[in-house]
Order: sequence, then C-alpha cells, then structure tokens
Amino acid sequence: MSVVTVQLGQCGNQVAHQLFDTVCSDAQDGQRKTYCTASTERFFRRSSQGDLVARAVLIDMEPKVINHCMNEAAHSGRWSYGDTSHFSQKQGSGNNWANGYCVHGPRHKEVVEELVRREVERCDRLAGLMAMMSVAGGTGSGVGTFVTQGLRDIYPKSFILNHLTWPYETGEVIVQNYNSMLTLAHLYQLSDAILVHENDTVHRICSQLLNIKHISFSDINKLIAHQLGSVLQPALTADSHGGYSRNPLGELVCALACHPEYKLLSVCTIPQMPSASIAYSTFSWPALLKHLRQMLISNSKMEEGIDWQARPPAASERSRSLTGANTSLANLLILRGKDVYSAETGGFEDPGLYTPWLSSGEALNLWKSPVPFNKYEKSATVVSNSRALLRPLDHMVRKAWNMFASRAYIHQYVKFGISEEDFLDSFTSLEQVISSYSQLC
Amino acid sequence: MQRSKASVSVEVKQVIGALCRLLAASGLDSVPAPETFRRAKFSGGPEVAGQFWKLLATILQRTGIVFSEDSSQLKGDLEHRKLVAAGLWQTGYRADWMCGREAGEDEEGKSLSSRDLLLALGWLLAKGTLEKLLTQRVQQLDKTLLTSLPVNTQVSHELQLDLTSLRRLQWLVGYLRHQRRILLSMIEERAQLLHAVLSAGLPSAVSSSSDYSSKALQDDCVCMRHLCDLLETYLNWKQVEKVFWTWMDSVVDCHLTEPVVKTSVHTPHVCHHQELDDMLSRLPTAQKGPRRCREDNEDRRGERLQDGMDTSSLLCRPSQAYRVRLQVERPVSDHISTAKRLHDSTKAPDTFPASQAAQLLLKTEALLLERRDRQRQANRMQLQEMIGELEGLVLIPP
Repeated sequence: MSVVTVQLGQCGNQVAHQLFDTVCSDAQDGQRKTYCTASTERFFRRSSQGDLVARAVLIDMEPKVINHCMNEAAHSGRWSYGDTSHFSQKQGSGNNWANGYCVHGPRHKEVVEELVRREVERCDRLAGLMAMMSVAGGTGSGVGTFVTQGLRDIYPKSFILNHLTWPYETGEVIVQNYNSMLTLAHLYQLSDAILVHENDTVHRICSQLLNIKHISFSDINKLIAHQLGSVLQPALTADSHGGYSRNPLGELVCALACHPEYKLLSVCTIPQMPSASIAYSTFSWPALLKHLRQMLISNSKMEEGIDWQARPPAASERSRSLTGANTSLANLLILRGKDVYSAETGGFEDPGLYTPWLSSGEALNLWKSPVPFNKYEKSATVVSNSRALLRPLDHMVRKAWNMFASRAYIHQYVKFGISEEDFLDSFTSLEQVISSYSQLC
Repeated sequence: MQRSKASVSVEVKQVIGALCRLLAASGLDSVPAPETFRRAKFSGGPEVAGQFWKLLATILQRTGIVFSEDSSQLKGDLEHRKLVAAGLWQTGYRADWMCGREAGEDEEGKSLSSRDLLLALGWLLAKGTLEKLLTQRVQQLDKTLLTSLPVNTQVSHELQLDLTSLRRLQWLVGYLRHQRRILLSMIEERAQLLHAVLSAGLPSAVSSSSDYSSKALQDDCVCMRHLCDLLETYLNWKQVEKVFWTWMDSVVDCHLTEPVVKTSVHTPHVCHHQELDDMLSRLPTAQKGPRRCREDNEDRRGERLQDGMDTSSLLCRPSQAYRVRLQVERPVSDHISTAKRLHDSTKAPDTFPASQAAQLLLKTEALLLERRDRQRQANRMQLQEMIGELEGLVLIPP
C-alpha cells in the first residue's frame, strides 16, 4: 500500500522533500528489514535501475524550488524524484489565492492530474493521497486547493490527507489570512483530514528545544518532517494483525476524523532535542508519556514550559473552563522505540480528556513500533483532533474578517473571479468549524 | 387504409412478441405465443384460455402473491383457477367471473372467456408485475448484487435525540463510511492480485483449483450473458410498450361492447371496479378506429352530433356510459339521472332498477341510431350537392 504525495508550492515542495529524506534515512538506518521494506513500499518505488524513486508529484508555478529539490534528492545518493514527475511554470501566483485557484489551477488541470494518475498507476495499491502545501501564499494554497478538488473527483474512494503549514502570525504576506481562510474553508469540504503545523510553534521548538540560534526554513522543515515521519512511518496498529499497517492514511482518518465537522489535526512529539545531545540522554516510557499527556492537556506543543496545573476534569466536575484543560475528540498515540510493549498508556484513556459523546476506547487509538525512529531510542507522538487549533484558527479568521470589513485588497481577488459572496461563504463555513470546536467539551 | 391496418397488426404482433420474449427471459416457462394473445382478444377456444390460466398462475406464484405447495401439479383445473382468482383478487383485480363462478361452476365455460384472462394479465402488467419478475431474475443472475435486507427501521422511543447522541451517531456513520472505503480498496487489490495470479497461471499446467475457479468464472460469464440479454429484452419492450397498451385498450373495448345482457345478471355480484377504471383511464392513448364504430349509440355523442360539433376529442377516452355497468348501484343511477335530464325520464334516481335502465338505454340507442341515420342522410345530400357544383369532375370507384 502506497501513498502518493503531491507537493504544491514552495513550502509544500520543501517540506515534502524533507519528509522523503527523513523517512528514507530512517528506514535505511537500522537492520530492521521488514520495517525498511514497509516504509519503502509506502513512499518509494523502484526505478528500472533499482533505485528508490519517491512516489511524488512536484508542482509549483516557479521552477526554482522544484529544481533545487530534484537536485538535492539526486545528490543524496539514496533516493530521487521521478524525472518527469514535476510541473512548473515561469511565473508564480503572486501570493494571491484567487490567481492560483481560478487561473493557474484550471489552466494546468490536465497536466497535473495526468502526472498524479501516472504515479497512482505505479502503486500496487493506493493507500491514499497526501497533498502538502502552505496556506499563506498563492500557489500552495490556491493551486493546492484546486488540485485537491480535482483529486477528490478522480479518486472519490481514496483517502486524501492535506498537510498544511500555517504561516507566522506576523507573516510577511499581507493577505495571508485571506489565503489561509479561503484554503481552509474549501479544503474542509474536500479533504478527509487536515494535518496542521504552525510555523510559530515549530519555530519555538527549534529555538527552545533544539537550541538553534539562527533558525532557517530548512530547520523548520526538518522538524515538521520529523513529526510527520513519526506519524507516517510503518507501525503496528489494531487492524494490522501483528504486521505493519498497510493502510496508514485510512487508519489515521478512521482513528481521528470520522465526524465531518471535525477534521483539524495537530501533532506533538516528544522528545525533541539537538542531535548532539541524543546520545547522552536516557528516556523512560513513563516520563515521556507523562510529559506528552500534560502537553496534550495543557495544549503546549513542547515539553518546556508545560502548565502542570492544567488537568482534565474529574468525573464529578462538569465544567472544564475552571481546569483549563484541552478537550480532545480523538487522539492517536504513536510509540516508537525500545521496550515499546511495556509502555503504560493508561493515562491517555482518562475519559476526562475526551468529549462525553465518545468513549475513551473509541476516542483513543494506539500505534506501536519496536523500531526506534530517527535516532531517538524512544519517542512518542500524539496526533490529536482537539481544541488545540481553535485559538490560532479563530485569530486567523478574525484578522481576515477585520480586513474584509474594510474591503482591503478584495479587488485583487475579485479580478480573478473570487467574489465577496465567495468570501462570505468561506467565512461562514469557518465560523461553523470554530463553533463546532468551541462546543467540544 | 387496408395496408396500414395490416402493418399495424404486424407491429402489434411484434410488440407482443417482445413481451413474450421478456416474460420468457424473466424465467417464466409457460408463455403463450403472440398469436395466442390475438386469439384471446377474440375469446379464442378453451386451449387459449388454458394457456392463459397457466401463465397467470405462474406469474402469481413467482411474484409471491399466491403460494402453492406443489406448483407443478395442481390437483385439478378448478383448484388451479380458484388459486388464480384469489391471487388476482389480492392484487386488487375484480371481475364478474371471479364472483360469479361460485354460483354455477358449470356455467363457467360460458361466462369466462380467454379475453377476461387477457385483461387480468394486462392488469398485472400495469401493476408492475413485470418489473418485479425482472428484479427477481436479475438477483438470481447477478449474485454480487446486494439485496437490501429487511431492517428494523423503527427508532426506539427511548432514544435521546440530544446533541450528544446526534454527534456520536454522526461520528459512527463517518467511521462506517471510512471502513467501507478501506474494504472497497481491499477488494480492488484482491481482484487485481487474483487477476495477476490467474493470468500468470493460465499458460502453465492448470491445477484443480484454477480449474474450479475457471468453471466458476464460466458460470458467471453465462449468468452475465443472460443478464445482458434480459436487460436488452426489457429495453426493447420498454420502447414499444405503448403499442401494447393501445392494443390492450382495443381488447378492453371489445370486452366492454360485447355482453350487454349478461352484465345485468352479474351486476349485483360485482363489487368495486373503481380501481380498474382508474387504471384504464391512465392507460396510454386509445386506438380511435375500432372505438369509433361502436360508440355510435352513446348519448353524449348523439348530443354533440345534433349540435354538429366535432366528436373526435370525446372518443379518445372510454366514456362513462360504457363503464356504468361495471360500477356499483350509485354510479349507475348517477348516470341514469344524467340520462333522465337528457331524455325527460320521470323515474326517481335512487330507485332505478337495472331492467328499466336497460330499457332506457335501448330506447336511447334507438333514438341515437335514428339520429345517426338522419345525419348520414343529410351528409350524403350535402356531399351530392357539393359534387353537383363541381363541373367536369369524374369519380372513379376504387
């Protein structure tokens, strides 16, 4: 079962490239043949020469990033992109969602869909499609949304996961909130699940946990790739009957996003530290899980500065607002590394963590793999469908609304065919999402 | 005229042929020939009736309307017929012969013609029996079709329809949807692998297991071919169905015009014909030709003729006057009250006996015939006058 990745725009291409690199080096690192085979089958195919070729399609409206990615991959010596699996143009989308969605997307629809179809046909069995993009710019967000829409039409039965990179709150693109809002509102109807990484959070982790002084996009992408890899690499699941799961996207979606109003997924991983320190650290499952649980409850994405006061309400308490705890709809806990079967995960089964309408048995899923991931002897990741993204989403929509109220830059969108009516529709659907997550308690 | 009539009858025969093929393809084994249908229209002999008895019985059994333990060998004709009558009764069909038979079984041969049975068949077809048979057959042929199981759709009253249960329900439905997609993709993969194995295994020595599966495949193939044939037959039938109903309409006409005297005897037994009447009025456009020749005695037409108005529009639908005898007391008297207004009858509408009604109708008929003759005469005169005016015109007889 294989996943076909569609890399869209500058950010999407860079993050996906990093993900393939991480996954490939992780799979080839140890001596675990089954794990390596499963991982390879999932993300790579073999070229006629027997080399690993990423199951990916690269799409951008500018050639620079794609060329860079292809060269880097080819020079890594471990894997490469398919020679003809990319599509680029000479002129970008100018950070305008409408330009990407209404102009570039439709114009290149056939070419892009043909590229994806070819890649899909090379899979023995398609586990799903993963579209990776940012929401701030024009190509990733606009073209990405349009492409996702086309994929949904062509592959109605396949699972489509969108990985989104949310911009810095004080980003460099003035209309980023418009672009984000339009992207999210559209994807919410198309995608099966939307996995989100916020640049701000990732940046903080890089600076505080990894002690990086001058944080580059490459550092950020590496961290995102690490977290994504820890989710997507092979694991033993409840449905996989002792072998590595063959349907990562399907099981991920089944575990976390069955309700059409709740599709936003966030990730936190522990431990995260400078690679130099890993060798000198010891980890214990109880400590890791205790921290991870508190990160989940207090809604902090790193183990530093966790609010230890936050606690889930006891069965007798009905009001959550006093305890300040995050409520999850569903969580997927993924443990990788040594002695994984001895790890005690009871703390995540606390009904207080979840909504009253799902039992903790239904809301919590557990994946395990005895293979250490990306050099960490033990690591734990939780993918959570919770209120964690409510605040940033609310911020984004509020800022976009304030701009929209003064009709700022609207004409830039209208001229490509996105009317004020379309804006209002998108606002409405995101307000619905916000309201749904607000009621999650 | 003669030729077009002939071509129409050829067409009708073809259409009935299409119906027969469809019935046979639906799995019925005793389908009469198209010619038998034609003979039935004119109340063909007992062997025609026998074939229709058999057909009706099979249809009723196949569609589960009647149930008989030994369908192949019924104890006797009588038994057989009782079963058919009961089945037709259950489908909502009512006819004189169904009620009248109990009174005198010897009389049955006289009172019941194969046309009655043909009409009953028409009723069953119009009720959608054909589609039912078709569905059954398709399910037999295509085993991959999922038939909807009878599900208890009753929602428990104790179910709390609050937001919490609703959201839980939505979540579970979503979960099932995702599971379905996973299963579908697994089936797809399995099919692909099977295909690969089979296509790789075919050239080599055939093992017993692949022999078995190839036999299964062949069976499947035969089933699929039957299925295609069946659906094609249905399609052919659907395209010409209208012609059949027009023809059926002419059968109804034949039926309605013929036995006037017998009807008055049977009227008390006849209960509800409303449904049949509705059915008839819904049937596709009637044939005009045959009806024109038998509707001369209709009173309304008489009225119109007197007014010198065109009556063709009236002739398109079966008139009230002809359905009167099929109805219960009240509609009969209703009609008569209409007649009373028309012909100055002095009888009270509620106590109007059937014999007097018949008398009145006969009188009306005589009157109308007289009017018709008069009109005919007038027309002829008019025509001659017109011809007289046209100088140098020569008429050559055909």
